[in-house]
Amino acid sequence: MSILHGLVILSLVIFIAAIVARAVRIMRTPIHLRWELYPVPHEKGRAAHGGSMLEETDWWTKSKDKDHLGELGVMIPEILLLKGVWEHNRKLWFSSWGMHFGLYLLIGHLALVTLLGILGVAGLDLSTGFLSILVSLLKALAIVGGALGLLGSVILFVMRLSDNGMKRFASPSHFVNLIHLGAIYLTTLLWALLDPQYALHSVGLLAGLVSFGEIPALPVVGYVNIAVVLLFFVYLPFTHMTHFFTKYFTYHEVRWEDEPNMPGGPLEGKIAAAVSQPVTWAAPHIGADGKKNWVDLVSGTGKVDDEKKEA
Amino acid sequence: MGVVYCSCGPANVKEMSEPSEQLAHVELKDLPPLPPPYDNIEELPGFKKLKDETREEYEASLDDTLAASLKKPKSEEEEKEMVERFLSGLHKLFTKENNWTFLQPLLLSMEHCAKCQTCVEDCPIYEESGHNELYRPTYRSEILRRLYFKYVKNGNKWFNTFQQGGIELNWTLISRLFELSYRCTLCRRCAQSCPIGVDNGLITHELRKLFSQELGWSPEELHGKGTIQQMEVGSSTGMNKMVVMDNIEFIDDDMTDRVGFDVKTPWDVEGADVLLLENAGEFLAWPENHGCSSILLDAAGISWTMSSELAGYDGVNYGLFYDDVQLARVATRHFEIAKKLGVKKIVMGECGHETKALGVIADRVGIGNIPRESILTLMRDIVFSGKIKFNPEKNDFPVTLHDPCNIVRNLGIVQPQRDILNYLAPRFREMTPHGVRNYCCGGGSGFAIMSKNNFLDWRNHISSRRKFRQILEAFQDEDMSPETKKYVCAPCSNCKGSIRDMLDFYGAKEKSGIYYGGLVELIVNAMEDAREPILDWDMM
Repeated sequence: MSILHGLVILSLVIFIAAIVARAVRIMRTPIHLRWELYPVPHEKGRAAHGGSMLEETDWWTKSKDKDHLGELGVMIPEILLLKGVWEHNRKLWFSSWGMHFGLYLLIGHLALVTLLGILGVAGLDLSTGFLSILVSLLKALAIVGGALGLLGSVILFVMRLSDNGMKRFASPSHFVNLIHLGAIYLTTLLWALLDPQYALHSVGLLAGLVSFGEIPALPVVGYVNIAVVLLFFVYLPFTHMTHFFTKYFTYHEVRWEDEPNMPGGPLEGKIAAAVSQPVTWAAPHIGADGKKNWVDLVSGTGKVDDEKKEA
Repeated sequence: MGVVYCSCGPANVKEMSEPSEQLAHVELKDLPPLPPPYDNIEELPGFKKLKDETREEYEASLDDTLAASLKKPKSEEEEKEMVERFLSGLHKLFTKENNWTFLQPLLLSMEHCAKCQTCVEDCPIYEESGHNELYRPTYRSEILRRLYFKYVKNGNKWFNTFQQGGIELNWTLISRLFELSYRCTLCRRCAQSCPIGVDNGLITHELRKLFSQELGWSPEELHGKGTIQQMEVGSSTGMNKMVVMDNIEFIDDDMTDRVGFDVKTPWDVEGADVLLLENAGEFLAWPENHGCSSILLDAAGISWTMSSELAGYDGVNYGLFYDDVQLARVATRHFEIAKKLGVKKIVMGECGHETKALGVIADRVGIGNIPRESILTLMRDIVFSGKIKFNPEKNDFPVTLHDPCNIVRNLGIVQPQRDILNYLAPRFREMTPHGVRNYCCGGGSGFAIMSKNNFLDWRNHISSRRKFRQILEAFQDEDMSPETKKYVCAPCSNCKGSIRDMLDFYGAKEKSGIYYGGLVELIVNAMEDAREPILDWDMM
């Protein structure tokens, strides 16, 4: 096992551990009050006009079947095409889409190169038949993904500097993030363009990594590419860029979360646990003392006599 | 023509902490012009200035108005104490014990914003203020976000500042931030457009809660005269049981005279199918709304009742706008009253925030809730039940529909009101945009009942401006003279209050013949058997 093996393992462990920790932290937050926002795409037969089950009289007696395909119909164009940005911020769309779609292509490239690496280790011949076509696809993915992502990152960098709104809220990290992403795209692009053995090298790299075997000598740009990619794996989980997976929660657990609290239903236990917690809010009208819980407090009205107010 | 940015807002987030006489200023000339005949600034009502004595007494360094009206502290020590208390509240806002109600959505919105500004063009206040930077929907969110990362979020402080940017916490900042939390109507249109799912409306809501629940700061209209008065006296209008029953009796008598058949509101009927819970403001400002609901329920043969219990005849719940504990107190009271009466369900009247608060938000404040539904869905079923004869020709005038944010965008009740209008209003036309992409009336989140100082001017010039523009555009194919009466149907009490104020402010009734009212009035107006029309243009 080489130093490179160690660095890759360390980066992946940090990435996975930090992502899991963030996901667990979000999932362990208590049940919250309903805060859905329409349209909710799983509303069967009503999503097109933004309607909900509340459009029915006695809705609690009716079927609440959810149209999960409807959710996919929203999520797929949103993830792949950034539909929301297209509809609400057209001037940002191309750069943002380019930056994101370039990344998707490189992720696809990484998945493919990993698959081919494993197949190579398993002894399959990658130079003939369908597998050879996949190998030749690698370079195309690297070039298109790298170029598109680089273009998007550069335009976004300029917009962060010049756009009236974006520049007011830009922090140093926004520029560093874009430089970092740009470096990933640029080094991928250069490696694919300048290395005649690009496919062989990248498959060999992954084969060596997954088998803990020998890694072929790479061009300098290849090592630089590996370095910036690994650094990104370590850095990303601690930034707002985790929206790539927390978006699941903002949509499914908040925006589209419309589960009614039915008598004897599954929510009652969670609610009972939430309202039994002690409250320490300090405003006099709350009446909290650190021991009273939410149930104790709601029996009051909030009226505070003048003496307490003054105190 | 490109977007013109006014130069009268703050240049950056950090300016919020820097003492100055006033952080932002609104000039009427910077506002996008309205369609004729409302396009001449000279002929429009002005924007009254705050009085000097008001500026002496209250913290008024944010912009040209005061909504929350925070008194100036007496000493620097008091300022420091308030800053400490704010910081304490900031920590509590991110604990599961104190804020289980919204912790998960808040954390998600705090930690994942890409600051891409995709949401901003969807904010009618920002747009109609001439892009005043103070009202950019991300501005106040960014302040809370930076405070969170600086003072609450674990991790390396340098790294957090590198990620989010820095901010200084001082008295100037918190006093301005309190006011600024009352420059957003919580319409959540911006949240719809965020590709990540960040919700600036929620962040504003949470800011208001922090100020109320930790420091005891909230607008008097929402708290002292709102939730407290409702639970102590019976209604945020100040009406006690005797007064409200007397008023309803008068409404019943008046409606009986007008429609020609007996109208009588039933009180405290145990075991009735329906408890009708309306915004008590209707009984004073729009009595026909209750009268028509009463007529319709009776005509449909529904077993219903109202409650004379304390708060049982007022469905408002202003806790929704600023304080979760007050929200839960009012909602719990409503649930208890319904259980005591033994009704099968609560039907919530034409009031958006009531329907959202009791129908959905309060769904998880307790266990064993009574079923609730909007009167809009029930009315749709009644209209199409065949039990009542209608003559749509009685509504032969132009009608457009306002979509209350709380009913449409936040509850998904979109189609029932359209089904009714398509049947009973032959000249119905939609606004653009409409449905879940509607614009707020400008009175959301409590603004409709807040008019102290010169806040009404701010509301009419800025937060209601887009709605007024939409209303004018909806009738553009009609004769815009006052002789042609036009009706804005607004099935929400607070929206009606806001629309009433804007139409008065711009003189739209006199200049363009634009009137407003609820949905049930149109339904009863079209009833074949009614002796007189319910809609009396001379009285509207």
